[in-house]
Amino acid sequence: MRTTDLRGWIPTAVAAVTAAAFVACGGGGDQAGQEGGEGQQAAQQQGPVVPPDSQAFVRGAVQFEGTAPEAESIDMSQEQFCAARYEAPEPRTQHVVVNDGMLQNVFVYVSSGLERSFPTPQEAETLDQQACRYRPHVMGVQAGQPLAIMNSDSVLHNINATPSANRGFNVSQPQAGMTTTRKFAVEEVMIPVACDVHGWMNAYIGVLPHPFYDVSGQDGSVAMDGLPPGEYVIEAWHERYGVMSDTVTLAAGDTASVSFTYSADMAGAEVPLGDPIYPHDHGEESHAAPADAEVGNR
Amino acid sequence: MRGTRRVARHRGAGRWNAGAHGNGPGWTSFLSLMPLLLIAGLALPSAADAQDVENGQRLYERWCAECHGAEGEGDGPAASRMLPRPRDFTEARYQIRTTASGNLPTTGDIMRAIEHGLPGTTMPGWPNLNRSQQRDLTAYLKSLSPFFERLGPPDSLSFESPPGGGEEALESGRQVYTKLECDRCHGSAGRGDGPSAPTLTDWRDQPVRAADLTQPWLFNGGSSVEEIHRRFLTGLDGTPMPTQADALNAGVVDSAQLWDLAYYVRSLAPERVPPPGRNVVRVERIADDEELPAGPGADAWDDVDRYWFPMAGQVLERPRQFEPMVDGVWVEGVHDGSEIALRVSWNDPSQSPDSAWMQWQRRVAGALYADGTPWPTDSLPDRLAVQFPTEIPEGRERPYFLMGSAQKPVYLWRWNSRDGIRESTATGLGTAGPLPESRLQGQATWSAGQWSVVFRRSLEGEGQRISLESGVAVPVAFYAWDGNNAETGKRAAVSSWYFVVLEVPTGNEVYVAPAAVVLLVAGFGVFMVRSARQGETGGGAGDDGSGA
Amino acid sequence: MSGPERVREWVGHPFWATALVLVLAYAAIRFGIPHVPPLFGVASAPVPSSVVLQYMLSVFLALMLYVSANEERWERFREPIRVLLVEPDLGWLRVAVLVAAMAITGWLTYTNVRPSYGAPAALRSIHPAPPDQIQFEGETLRLSRLQNPLREEGDLQEHYERGAEIYAENCVPCHGDRLDGQGHFANAFNPAPLDLTSGGNLPQLSESFVFWRIAKGGPGLPPEGTPWNSAMPAWEGVLSQREIWSVIVYLYEQTGFTPRSTEGHGGGEAGSSGSAAEGTS
Repeated sequence: MRTTDLRGWIPTAVAAVTAAAFVACGGGGDQAGQEGGEGQQAAQQQGPVVPPDSQAFVRGAVQFEGTAPEAESIDMSQEQFCAARYEAPEPRTQHVVVNDGMLQNVFVYVSSGLERSFPTPQEAETLDQQACRYRPHVMGVQAGQPLAIMNSDSVLHNINATPSANRGFNVSQPQAGMTTTRKFAVEEVMIPVACDVHGWMNAYIGVLPHPFYDVSGQDGSVAMDGLPPGEYVIEAWHERYGVMSDTVTLAAGDTASVSFTYSADMAGAEVPLGDPIYPHDHGEESHAAPADAEVGNR
Repeated sequence: MRGTRRVARHRGAGRWNAGAHGNGPGWTSFLSLMPLLLIAGLALPSAADAQDVENGQRLYERWCAECHGAEGEGDGPAASRMLPRPRDFTEARYQIRTTASGNLPTTGDIMRAIEHGLPGTTMPGWPNLNRSQQRDLTAYLKSLSPFFERLGPPDSLSFESPPGGGEEALESGRQVYTKLECDRCHGSAGRGDGPSAPTLTDWRDQPVRAADLTQPWLFNGGSSVEEIHRRFLTGLDGTPMPTQADALNAGVVDSAQLWDLAYYVRSLAPERVPPPGRNVVRVERIADDEELPAGPGADAWDDVDRYWFPMAGQVLERPRQFEPMVDGVWVEGVHDGSEIALRVSWNDPSQSPDSAWMQWQRRVAGALYADGTPWPTDSLPDRLAVQFPTEIPEGRERPYFLMGSAQKPVYLWRWNSRDGIRESTATGLGTAGPLPESRLQGQATWSAGQWSVVFRRSLEGEGQRISLESGVAVPVAFYAWDGNNAETGKRAAVSSWYFVVLEVPTGNEVYVAPAAVVLLVAGFGVFMVRSARQGETGGGAGDDGSGA
Repeated sequence: MSGPERVREWVGHPFWATALVLVLAYAAIRFGIPHVPPLFGVASAPVPSSVVLQYMLSVFLALMLYVSANEERWERFREPIRVLLVEPDLGWLRVAVLVAAMAITGWLTYTNVRPSYGAPAALRSIHPAPPDQIQFEGETLRLSRLQNPLREEGDLQEHYERGAEIYAENCVPCHGDRLDGQGHFANAFNPAPLDLTSGGNLPQLSESFVFWRIAKGGPGLPPEGTPWNSAMPAWEGVLSQREIWSVIVYLYEQTGFTPRSTEGHGGGEAGSSGSAAEGTS
């Protein structure tokens, strides 16, 4: 009699265990998302900074082979305020910017190999809207780090961020001097940002759980300092030519160099944006629980 | 151009029913944990939730999957013919919410969208599903994105109650409209024709229209002042419409001004949806000393009754038009006994061919012509056609409403923004050919997102040109093409047959009969009273016949 | 005299009883007939005004016969009228009734003779009698013998799913996701797209009838169906026979209705009676 009773309860108990585990790990743990990564941050700040004598460095260059497509001119005539801010030559698109064979605006970052967490900076990264352009065009920010978006123009801009793994936003800034601060909770490479009022304005933001990223400058160079020793995969992302990667092994005090060479033939490559997350991505076990519980209750 | 999203996805056998999971803990540990587990078990309604989700999934597969896709990704078989595209539930990006921009919708928000649908889109309301079915469906939709689990229930914003409006509010609202630069997209008169309108895309890179604020029955989130005000605070996620919350917090506008704006936006449109059933255009007879209005801007039109005729995409013959730009025309008419003037007005944000709208045309064609039919790359004019039978029908039979047939042709008043006005006949869709020596005159103007075309012709026709007679209902139908919406040929907006009736000059004869009847009744009454009195005084014998 | 008693006396009086019956009859015809049966799930429609007039006239004549059949009743019936006509104290009421009668008849006459600008009456048979046979892409199909072949072969669920897909791609703009004829294009068309969820449509029709309507569409209607107005496309040439049958499977499965069976299987005479029975409904 007693055993039968117990048997009846077992499935419920299984359900309860798994459900409780699910609440602890998944349900509660990620709550930070909406709060802008506060929870994660607290955990990460406990990790000590890499001691100076064991730091390693990466230096890199992004090259471009072949003939770069010519940047198209942007017709800003519908927004006189901005059009007036450019003298000849008129403003041109920034999708592919090549100087002396070096490719600008490539986001280079450590994509794997880091086995520890890093503190989240509290000072904001700034994305400026100036003369109807985003400055910078490509940038990085750490998960949970404030991102200050400011309007330096006396016209309406809206900032429409459309991430996949993070929550997006679409904010209007009708006045010069307005600043909107937002955070992205989780890693995502890359998040597109656009202004719908000015169809030509777009930018990309890479969000990483660590500070080891850079965007190639005019000379195509990138630098990442203060890495702990280890073996890393370095990935490069370009909005038109897609993704390349390289591996480096670093001992304390080392400076490794990486080199990425994009070529004109890569036009039309698939350019991945943020990886959408699906229910299956985080643990099927927890999802199995409700189905079991249902059986148990019969 | 935005990049493609990563395609690698993990797909199990199905959501939520991944089957039996790994080995559970052993017997003994269960016994020791039992009391704790029982408490936990009672506290967690997960079993019931799973049941809801399962019920919801069944409903979803039956009613929603054809548009929103089997996996909820907004890619069902019908999706490619819809703009905006059906929602992708795996992204949890919901347009109509009571929560801040970027936040998840509340359960109530999703249920409201299910109950009422999203006006102006292809999403209907589902009042045929009862509350518990709607709740199950909502549970299933939420299960399609991990965000709901990850972030927990969102907080609704708090909304004040509307302060009341009034003339001053409207004036203030008009200023806020300019200050917040709403006109950049929605246009100076609110018809969705602002300078940024041609480049608007939703987050899937599909073209999306700036709402035509003069047609509130198409507002996705409802058209009451409260609902409009909510959209300001929440934004419409996934579309270019941003939240004004940050501008409010930064003090660019205050909360009263945002309400004024809501009142102003609502005031741009008629109070109610133009009523259906008014399907006859009454063409007013002007006084003998007045003149017919020559153009669309003439003052004479101010006092004339307007009639609204809804239009739909031409989806009967191929190539079909599933998302026409024009969804109806306003029609007014006057005549003077020998000539008729008909004014047709409709909202069209582009004055095609307009080079600024070419990229819109490209995008729309790319979005809707995915079936491989060739799409027009050249610049196309806007067009309109008013259709009549070639003669007033004797019986009830008339030509086929879609441009007639070989047996029964139709007669057309056509206008296009490039070549002006001409008369034509047609024997089917796409067969219109001009008649020689057009007798039709007219003028057209485009202003702030609205075309207005006046057609003038003598009432008397000849041959295939219909003769219009006063007091007789004449069938009429309408067609509209927006060139910059890639509309040409059979890709058009069409209407059913309606009627125009020319007012008969009301002579005095209409009062003769009523006057005669009134006199007759009076006489009969007096006679009745007289005879009854006589019967009364004349004694009992005559009583019988007197009353009758 | 108490209130209820007074009411009873009034109602018992032939004149007031007649007036009361007339009012009740009017209410029953005008409002009862269209609104009461739906409460019990039976479809109904408003009575046309000419028919209302006919009914009211019959009721009135019947009442007059009843009232005048008995001398005493007739006398009592006439009493209030007589009072109105002769009573010296009621002069004001006489004048008022006369003026009211003049105004009402005058107005009614005026509304009749003034020019009207309504649409001409358009009677339409919603489900007109189908032809005996149709040509489908050159093949002759006898409707009376036509059965849905998909009911006998393969997996019904598969046919349903294929039908659902075709419906979503082609029918949704007018007939709607709910199949109730309220798609987003529906308000632009007159006659409105058929409500497929109504008990008066699919369950009253055989599958062969539905096949005919889908294949031949509006242009294939006989004149009583006003083919010139119908926005239903002819799907012959766009959809194959099989595809049309799968849509039909979907329509019945999704709405939960069963098709009306063609009376009997085989046999020409049973078939022809079947097609006649499907006539104008």
